[in-house]
Amino acid sequence: MKKIKLIIQREFLTRVRKRTFIISTLLFPLLYLALIFGTSYIGAKSKANLKIAVLDSSGLFDRGRIERANATDASSQLVLVKDNADSLQKNFKAMGYDGYIIVPANTSVETIPHELVMNTNRTIGSASEVQSKLNTIWDELKYEKLGIDDEKQKTLSASRIQVKPENVNDRKSDSRVASTMGIVSGFLIYFILLVYGSQVMMGVMEEKTNRIAEVMVSSVKPFQLMLGKIIGIGLVALTQFLLWIAFIFIIYNVTKASGAGSSMVSGMVGNVQSVFLSVNLPVVLGCFGFYFLGGFFFYSSLYAAIGSAVNEDMREAQSLSFPVTLLIIFSISLMTIATSDPTGPVAVWGSIIPLTSPIVMMARIPFGIPGTVQVWELALSMGLLIAGFIFTTWFAGKIYRTGILMYGKKPTWKEMFKWAMRK
Amino acid sequence: MALLQLNNLQKNFATQRAVNDISLTIEQGQIFGLLGPNGAGKTTLIRMITGIFYPDQGEIIFDGRPFDPINDVAYIGYMPEERGLYKKMKIGEQTLYLAQLKGLGKAEATRKIKEWFVRFNMESWWNKKVEDLSKGMSQKLQFVTTVLHEPKLIILDEPFSGLDPVNADLIKEEIHNLARKGATVIFSTHRMEQVEEICDHIALVNKGEKILDGTVQQVKQDFKENLFRINFSNSVLPEHLAIHLFDVKEKKDNSLILQRNEGFSNNDIIQYFINKGLGIESFNEILPSLHEIFIRLVQDTPTARQFEKTN
Repeated sequence: MKKIKLIIQREFLTRVRKRTFIISTLLFPLLYLALIFGTSYIGAKSKANLKIAVLDSSGLFDRGRIERANATDASSQLVLVKDNADSLQKNFKAMGYDGYIIVPANTSVETIPHELVMNTNRTIGSASEVQSKLNTIWDELKYEKLGIDDEKQKTLSASRIQVKPENVNDRKSDSRVASTMGIVSGFLIYFILLVYGSQVMMGVMEEKTNRIAEVMVSSVKPFQLMLGKIIGIGLVALTQFLLWIAFIFIIYNVTKASGAGSSMVSGMVGNVQSVFLSVNLPVVLGCFGFYFLGGFFFYSSLYAAIGSAVNEDMREAQSLSFPVTLLIIFSISLMTIATSDPTGPVAVWGSIIPLTSPIVMMARIPFGIPGTVQVWELALSMGLLIAGFIFTTWFAGKIYRTGILMYGKKPTWKEMFKWAMRK
Repeated sequence: MALLQLNNLQKNFATQRAVNDISLTIEQGQIFGLLGPNGAGKTTLIRMITGIFYPDQGEIIFDGRPFDPINDVAYIGYMPEERGLYKKMKIGEQTLYLAQLKGLGKAEATRKIKEWFVRFNMESWWNKKVEDLSKGMSQKLQFVTTVLHEPKLIILDEPFSGLDPVNADLIKEEIHNLARKGATVIFSTHRMEQVEEICDHIALVNKGEKILDGTVQQVKQDFKENLFRINFSNSVLPEHLAIHLFDVKEKKDNSLILQRNEGFSNNDIIQYFINKGLGIESFNEILPSLHEIFIRLVQDTPTARQFEKTN
């Protein structure tokens, strides 16, 4: 036991102290934030401040209506112009407009025009804003024409039916939030399995390439060496993950404290709070920890076996590890099915079989236990995953024992099975 | 007392019988040479002694008790032919790590590492990385990591390869030191001149079987061919040599190498030359070198061992 502890310690410390670990831990959330804010910033920028000229020959669009419509949204502006249609079409750019709308003289409230021409090359989003402003004006016109006063308008708009899907077993759950959370958790596990699994493989290959394997196995059992490495690297992944959670917590609290005045920030804070309310967070985090570790042990021991079987050639390792990587990628495709139909047979069986359960089950859990995931499903899935990783670790240990001292030709999976079956 | 006793060890691999019924006794404090051509089964034998492989048959008695691979490895130091250290790890940390894996406490290990580093002029290396060391330097480091925990049994596979003569002498000196302090050394090599210089006792392994075992002196006696070199003070003439006492192997103006024939003694030969009126300046027996014995014993073996069925 003391030896395994020493090995875990070495594997952990040499990795955590590396500059690449510190940089990737800091950079990943920053890049992630940059990606989210960057895209929404660019999106906002690209539809901001459209200035649209309105040439009205019908007399329906008076100054008061246009002003009221403009007040609803600042991202575009309608300006009433007096000009003839030809010169506006030619010169609207020179006049400082992004587009124009010509309302023909024969337009009336009864003959609602099917389209108003807006000559501009902008996103659909910005066109729809202009459209909704025009509709505001149009509504006003219709209400006036039909003699509907403010009181009646309220009754009209209040009488809409809204359908909100609600799980009868779990009234708190919100399927939109749950599926987002499921996808995020699934992808995180996918990322950890691939990145840290291949780190285990590279670590084992390093021991073979540096020829230290024989020195090591004259002090410790090969199984201890393999297990120590897997646990050590697993702890590195866990550390990185906990650091990220800490970052998120700090950023959340700092934003909450600093941005109490801004409506955008308080809106975001509110969103986060509603996510926390609709999902049973301790259960989700607890299960995440379990499937993260279980999946990591399950797959990284296979990666360790592959690392022990190949020589220093990265291509050999890639070709041998391809089937394992494929299984992980397959889990992701099952996950997308599971988030859209979390109680379907694909989701249920995918979350029970240990090959795919770490990712698929994590995608289902935010939908709620026992609302969506039955307790027996969770228990069976966890039990099978434990049995599964005990089996893969044992199996990998057998291959590892032989492979680590073998040099020369790359073995096939068949030969590796033979090594595992040897006593 | 025997530190290590191997009784009828056998180890088979899928395509080969690597070790076939080998028995050996290695006394405490002995420097034991384990010799054999490439692929003879030396490494497999050593891996069984170091607990890396389990023998298929036979038993290993270590220090008077059946060998316990889990605990006894703490008393063994093994330097494999394929040397290896973690390249990216700092030298001090790495040595400490390997020593702790052999069961030393941190404080004790640190103290011992410092002692060895001073002895080998390596004090300034502590914070360097292995990848910064030359081949010879990392060889010295490897030796230190092998013997640091004061093992009862030290197994060195080609310990001098890659070392310059100065460092080779340094290591040789330490091997003798360790043996004097009671450590037993198994020394595996192809370099016969080093074996003659260092080892007390040797065993020769070929095709998985032991074909020779004894002290260096005894082995040489066993393989001697009754060859003698005689230097004369005057010239030897052909008529002096027409005699049934010996066959002439090599003749120079006033020296001879001859092989004594069966049934005669050295005195008979000396008497003969004295009677012929030749002045004898020196008379020496030529013992075969281990190199010659080695070649003679394994020359019929094909250079690459054939794959064969084990059952």
